[in-house]
Amino acid sequence: MDELMQILEELRPDVDFENETALITDGVLDSFDIVALVGELNDAFDIEIKPNNLVPDNFNSAKAMWNLIEELQDE
Amino acid sequence: METSILNRLNKTAEKYADKVMFKDEHGQITFGEFNALTKVIGTALAKLVPCGAPVAVMSGRHIMTPACFLGAVRAGCFYAPMDGDMPQARLNQICGVIQADIMLVDKAHLETARSLDFDGQIIVMEDVLDTQPDEELLSERESTLVCTSPLYVIFTSGSTGVPKGVITSHQSLMCYIDSVAKVLRIDDTDTLGNQSPLDYIAAIRDIYLPISFGASTYIIPKNEFAVPTTLFETLNREKITALCWSVAGVEIPAKLGAFDVGKPEYLKKLCFSGSVMPCKYLKIWQEHLPDVLYVNQYGPTEATASCTYYVVEEKVDDDTVLPIGKPYDNYRVFLLNEDNTPTKQGEQGEICVTGPILALGYYGNHEQTDKVFMQNPLNDKYRELIYKTGDLGSFDENGVLHFHGRKDRQIKHLGHRIELGEIEETAKKIAGVTDCCALYYKEKATLYLFYTGDAGAKDITIYFRQNMPAFMVPRKLVALEKLPALPNGKTDMQTLKGYFK
Repeated sequence: MDELMQILEELRPDVDFENETALITDGVLDSFDIVALVGELNDAFDIEIKPNNLVPDNFNSAKAMWNLIEELQDE
Repeated sequence: METSILNRLNKTAEKYADKVMFKDEHGQITFGEFNALTKVIGTALAKLVPCGAPVAVMSGRHIMTPACFLGAVRAGCFYAPMDGDMPQARLNQICGVIQADIMLVDKAHLETARSLDFDGQIIVMEDVLDTQPDEELLSERESTLVCTSPLYVIFTSGSTGVPKGVITSHQSLMCYIDSVAKVLRIDDTDTLGNQSPLDYIAAIRDIYLPISFGASTYIIPKNEFAVPTTLFETLNREKITALCWSVAGVEIPAKLGAFDVGKPEYLKKLCFSGSVMPCKYLKIWQEHLPDVLYVNQYGPTEATASCTYYVVEEKVDDDTVLPIGKPYDNYRVFLLNEDNTPTKQGEQGEICVTGPILALGYYGNHEQTDKVFMQNPLNDKYRELIYKTGDLGSFDENGVLHFHGRKDRQIKHLGHRIELGEIEETAKKIAGVTDCCALYYKEKATLYLFYTGDAGAKDITIYFRQNMPAFMVPRKLVALEKLPALPNGKTDMQTLKGYFK
């Protein structure tokens, strides 16, 4: 989780990832953030985020992203 | 000959009265309804401002926004669209340039509008919808328009730190729309999928192809680009046939693997522009949609969004570099050397353009206007203005134009045009930034800011987020003891580029 927070912090230092729960729904992160983020998460956690995973529920909060990462690591 | 875009709207509104013109996730509007709405808004505005006045428009990503634009035109005025999601400081800069007496906003943007340094009158679109259209007043206003009257002012990055407002006439817009429609073979059977923000130059196709030819436009919700699986579902549900997108917009679904789960079944034509297309992504589109007409388009806002086009007939490879092709109808494109002499075939020169598609200049800025809109140095017999794009190109033996980058420090990032100088001017305003240099790492599409001083990365990012549009916020911030310098004292950008990672 620390590593994820570090990546998020570097991507968008202006966003409060600890508390935000509608990052996609409220448009806090845009498509370019997501493209950058997917690449970094794939590399950092040795996972492959598939298009099916790209739904708002999986990216609305740091916690949701972490759950997705853990789920994909188990596969 | 047509005198204004209203000639076209009058015709299509009658011919396609009950056909859907614009649609978004919440609703739709027919040509007839749209036209009536422009008259309502136009009447309300005409009672407040004289013809020929600028109307600032701040309205969201929905079907009413194009009606606000054309409402201003019905009042005999021109519009300056503003993106309410931009930081306040940026919007204030735009207000400072346009100096409108009136701002038309949707209710959702009223609070933003009130927070700006704007001392004119704010009109809420929803509040004027009960206005009785005054046909006499409107036809009087319409008769004041000539084809060279300004239609809109669209803002773009300026190297001095203040955005430049490019003024486009009715005639220029109609010339471009006709040319692009001919290449893309757009007619009333087409449905366009709008990607661009409505205030941005790339949206003019999505707004004016319906007005001119009876096509329809679906305004795609912004966050669907972040989750591309639903994006393709939307394109299929709305039976989208034509897309005029930024290169960045075309790349995203391919990059995120959207073709693994589906494809746009109804798509017939895809026009992309804004920056150089990395063909490894175009290849993915071609593999899944081999029968689509792919068009690479090149050109600046100053020449009404474009200059040249190239129909991609070959199957591209990862390393294919697409030419930018041939001039559209009503565009004359040629190359000049540094010393203003004609460039020989096969050699590189600056791309210059002339024709009825030239912008009227930069709003309220004679100095910048005269610098780039100049007398054709090859013509000393009569007045002929040209626009020097600052882009380098060469013509091959078939008269096809190839693109070779910029002469200056302007870049294209995520489909937007950015002056690196403007990023630096902004950074220098931050307490704790002593000196800086902005550079673009093209391969990774990342904006870098190298700086000296004791400001933290977070301070800098937050300042940019508050003052600049998102696409102008540097993604990588590198603090240095001192910027490397060349013997002449200028910043050594090549050494800095070695720090990209």
